[in-house]
Amino acid sequence: MKRFRTSASAFTLAASTALSVVGATLPAFANDKLVELSQSEENWPMTGKSYKAQNYSKATQINTENVKNLRPAWAFSTGVLHGHEGTPLVIGDRMYVHAAFPNPTFALDLNEPGKILWQHKPKQAPTARAVACCDVVNRGLAYWPGDGKTPSLILKTQLDGHIVALNADTGEEFWKMENSDIKVGSTLTIAPYVIKDTVLVGSSGAELGVRGYVTAYDVKTGAQKWRAYATGPDEDIKLAKDFNMANPHYGQKGLGTNKTWEGDAWKIGGGTNWGWYAFDPDTNLFYYGSGNPAPWNETMRPGDNKWTMTIWGRDIDTGEAKFGYQKTPHDEWDYAGVNVMMLSEQEDKTGKMRKLLTHPDRNGIVYTLDREDGTLVSADKLDDTVNWVKQVDLKTGIPVRDPEFATRMDHKATEICPSAMGYHNQGHDSYDPEKKLFFMGINHICMDWEPFQLPYRAGQFFVGATLWMYPGPKGDRQNYEGLGQIKAYNAISGKYAWEKMEKFSVWGGTLATAGDLVFYGTLDGFIKARNSKTGELLWKYRLPSGVIGHPMTYTHKGTQYVAIYYGVGGWPGVGLVFDLNDPTAGLGAVGAFKNLANYTQMGGGVQVFALNGKNPYDDVNIGEWTGKAN
Amino acid sequence: MSCLPHTALAAALTVTLVAPALAYDGTNCKEPGVCWEPKPGYPEKTKITGSKYDPKHDPKQVQKQGDSIKEMEDRNKKRSENFAKTGKFQYDVSKIGAN
Repeated sequence: MKRFRTSASAFTLAASTALSVVGATLPAFANDKLVELSQSEENWPMTGKSYKAQNYSKATQINTENVKNLRPAWAFSTGVLHGHEGTPLVIGDRMYVHAAFPNPTFALDLNEPGKILWQHKPKQAPTARAVACCDVVNRGLAYWPGDGKTPSLILKTQLDGHIVALNADTGEEFWKMENSDIKVGSTLTIAPYVIKDTVLVGSSGAELGVRGYVTAYDVKTGAQKWRAYATGPDEDIKLAKDFNMANPHYGQKGLGTNKTWEGDAWKIGGGTNWGWYAFDPDTNLFYYGSGNPAPWNETMRPGDNKWTMTIWGRDIDTGEAKFGYQKTPHDEWDYAGVNVMMLSEQEDKTGKMRKLLTHPDRNGIVYTLDREDGTLVSADKLDDTVNWVKQVDLKTGIPVRDPEFATRMDHKATEICPSAMGYHNQGHDSYDPEKKLFFMGINHICMDWEPFQLPYRAGQFFVGATLWMYPGPKGDRQNYEGLGQIKAYNAISGKYAWEKMEKFSVWGGTLATAGDLVFYGTLDGFIKARNSKTGELLWKYRLPSGVIGHPMTYTHKGTQYVAIYYGVGGWPGVGLVFDLNDPTAGLGAVGAFKNLANYTQMGGGVQVFALNGKNPYDDVNIGEWTGKAN
Repeated sequence: MSCLPHTALAAALTVTLVAPALAYDGTNCKEPGVCWEPKPGYPEKTKITGSKYDPKHDPKQVQKQGDSIKEMEDRNKKRSENFAKTGKFQYDVSKIGAN
């Protein structure tokens, strides 16, 4: 253990040096403190750890040599079942834990994790559950460091559509606003995201015909700063004057209404954003993807359906879009384009240093764009079995569709890859800037699809398709296993350094560390560590339930910990969670994951690991009752 | 596709005459960002109304989301303005006027 302590203190020293350098060179933003916090390995202050959303830690205490000694340190049950997505936040001595509906929040004391410092348990209308498409999940919390006048805040979303700011010290509600109305099928599962003094809130409900929007609130008062829609008139979509100036062939003005939609269909056109964000202080742009158009029945909404399925770069202060690239024009497969955005700086094939954004999409393509102007740099298949598209033309930006795998009314399409669950879904992946590798949790699921006509009634489901899903060509279609993959990818060369199959989809995402490790959780209830250079499986641990969140790591008092939520659910878990048997139920997921219940049951909690299980209770007297206070 | 309605068949023929592509592959664009085409046998965008695939949207239903958002924005405005004025947050807007 002495060896670990030495490396930890060397690391802490390096981190504090880095901190002072950052403090000296960064422009003076009000959220500098959040940038500073994210530089230290003692904190995990936002989804993705830092604004680059790399899920990458420089900590090396746990590494390929000693990961076999990783053991549970302590655990915490949230008292809630259903899918536990996202990851806890750690700031200083505290861990903030969130959970599925009814979305309680807990603050734990890292010096004595058995102590719940405060808990926030909202009262929500149970009817919110009825309009959640894909389990009652929630992807996480956000943190605002305070400014001396206003206390530091924890920001949370609730399934019933509220965005709430809590005093980070006491858990008391500071303000609470209505963002989404469950009466029209609009819910919230996305994690809030803090940039400067603004908190961003996305939207859910495309399966109920909800027109998507992203909203910015003043983090101190809850006042709405701006709101930008995914479809409709340009002023609603908030396009900058120079929108797509660098790439006019992506399309520019006037495309959100009747040029790419028929009639008023854009008003119920989907395009919700419930994925993840990233931010670049230099461009002042934040990045995210809009979701699928509604309904799933493509014949009912002719047109490109802009700007659903789009990678956006928006100014955080004005909300105006500088660029928008539509990945899947006129979606026919529910490839909701909300997936993770990971930022990096790399040399392109010509040797030019580029500021990049890499995004593994539901449609089976991993896109890399120049994040300053939206120019396409690469668009590679996540797996060679992707068949709806022949290739993405980098010059035109157009996906060249294979009509054989299109969907349409009065026709049952078969063997489409990926399925509606995508070759990649909501998992938040990682990027190792040293190795220039993205570690991606991938799905290997294909489908048959048959649409049907249906009316739109606000508050009711508006899907209009029956799906049958099953393992992809590399899986075992007899036994319904081999539904996932994990791969290491270089965005410039387009090459995969390694690829490994998994029994089930790698749904929750990945964490990379400078200890040459990549961690991830599995639906069948394991946390695993692989050598990030070779993909070799080095360690795993059997958790109480399957995982749909991503691991995180932090160093507390010189010890590096790895934490992960357990609690299976989400879309792959709906059969298990709601006890469904019809293979087409759960939007087709029940059939694909019919074997999951043989490996896991529901749960809900956070499990923390350290080398040899070192933890605050190694001193057995910590947390003991020592008699009455006076 | 054995029993195509007359209109859809006509639309399919028109497509065949105008665009030589056998099927919609996304590469024939009318203008930048506008590349959708009907599949063979399916109606043009403007012809979907009245076709067998007419979604027949009820304008009252389609308007509900817009109305709901406007009402929420109005209530939130009262909440944040009251918070700024009094320094105390009140969620229940019916109690805000009474302050």
